[in-house]
Amino acid sequence: MLDRASTFADPEIVQLLKSRFIAVAIDQAYHRRQQDAEGEFYRKIAGQGPRHDFKKTTQGLYLATASGKLLGFNNNRGGDRIKALMKKALEQFQPPTATPIEAGPVDDRYHAPLPEGGMVVRVQAKILGGYEPTTDYWSKIYQDSLSRDNLWVTRAEYEGLVSGQLLPGLQRRIVRFHLIDNTRGEPQMWKAEEITSLDLSLDKGLLSGTVHLETASGNRGYKANLLGHIEHKNGKITRFDLVAHGQFWGECTYTPGAPNGKFPLAVSFTLADGSDVADGVPPKGSRGWVEGYLQP
Amino acid sequence: MNLPGLLLALCIYFPVTSGPFVDKLSEAEFGRLHEQLQAPADAPWRTIPWKISLLDAQRAAIDQHKPIFIWAMDGHPLGCT
Repeated sequence: MLDRASTFADPEIVQLLKSRFIAVAIDQAYHRRQQDAEGEFYRKIAGQGPRHDFKKTTQGLYLATASGKLLGFNNNRGGDRIKALMKKALEQFQPPTATPIEAGPVDDRYHAPLPEGGMVVRVQAKILGGYEPTTDYWSKIYQDSLSRDNLWVTRAEYEGLVSGQLLPGLQRRIVRFHLIDNTRGEPQMWKAEEITSLDLSLDKGLLSGTVHLETASGNRGYKANLLGHIEHKNGKITRFDLVAHGQFWGECTYTPGAPNGKFPLAVSFTLADGSDVADGVPPKGSRGWVEGYLQP
Repeated sequence: MNLPGLLLALCIYFPVTSGPFVDKLSEAEFGRLHEQLQAPADAPWRTIPWKISLLDAQRAAIDQHKPIFIWAMDGHPLGCT
């Protein structure tokens, strides 16, 4: 979140990435563990940097050649530092003699493809008010942020939508894994027993209802109304527009800094058309346990 | 207990916070919020041609004679992180 609005908002860095580098974005928690060619190549590069204990995080920015030689590493934000790193790497860079690495068998534990016949829906959340005014640069980024995740819909749920049904599994997946405040990082997902009430209906393409999510201690919760439109033509979903809007409260270990008390949070859903590379990123809620995500 | 007393007791035992916090969404509010919650396509980080496979990046780096820039985060940088 912070990198998007700082390092990767710097015009010179963006231009360098577009013109002089091949840019790739990965989840290092997967790459440092996965036992396949993709993981091996990552570990070859990261192992030359300061974070070479693959039992711990290797988060950071790595610059490397196609043969796997590390040209630079940094785990800080700040345009000038990253620009200097990039320019130094370019000065050192000589196109190596390298051949494309064959993918070979992939480590299924870290490759969860979209279920066959399924659908991707973009999910974006925003806090609409409640923050204390701030002049702090980083706090302001969090306060203004719009999160991004993907909802996966299975083939059976897709076919259900086409026939006018919102299957229970899809309802639970939407609320447990996507009605979250992920505007300051990665929060905990809702547990099944934290769905205090859920009343959604789909009638002639109009999706509407209410949801109440709350932890047992009451320290975090969300009460929202939902309204949306689902359309299909010739057996294909052509529209999946949905908004949840309500009052959220609380925060998680890795998402501190929420507004005090209750605050308005909205979450939008939009059919992904594949035009954004992020459409191919698995849902956060599927990380580490795809079955649990698909069968909530 | 008289009626006002009963109502007061009910309010204490069943506070208003157990009910809905917000009114139902109108079509107009739905449209406004849905539009507001779309990431602008011209956000600088979204204009970068990110790849999400390191091996794809390796092949492109060979073809285009360029170095690779890896953005490695805990959680996917282009998703929920």
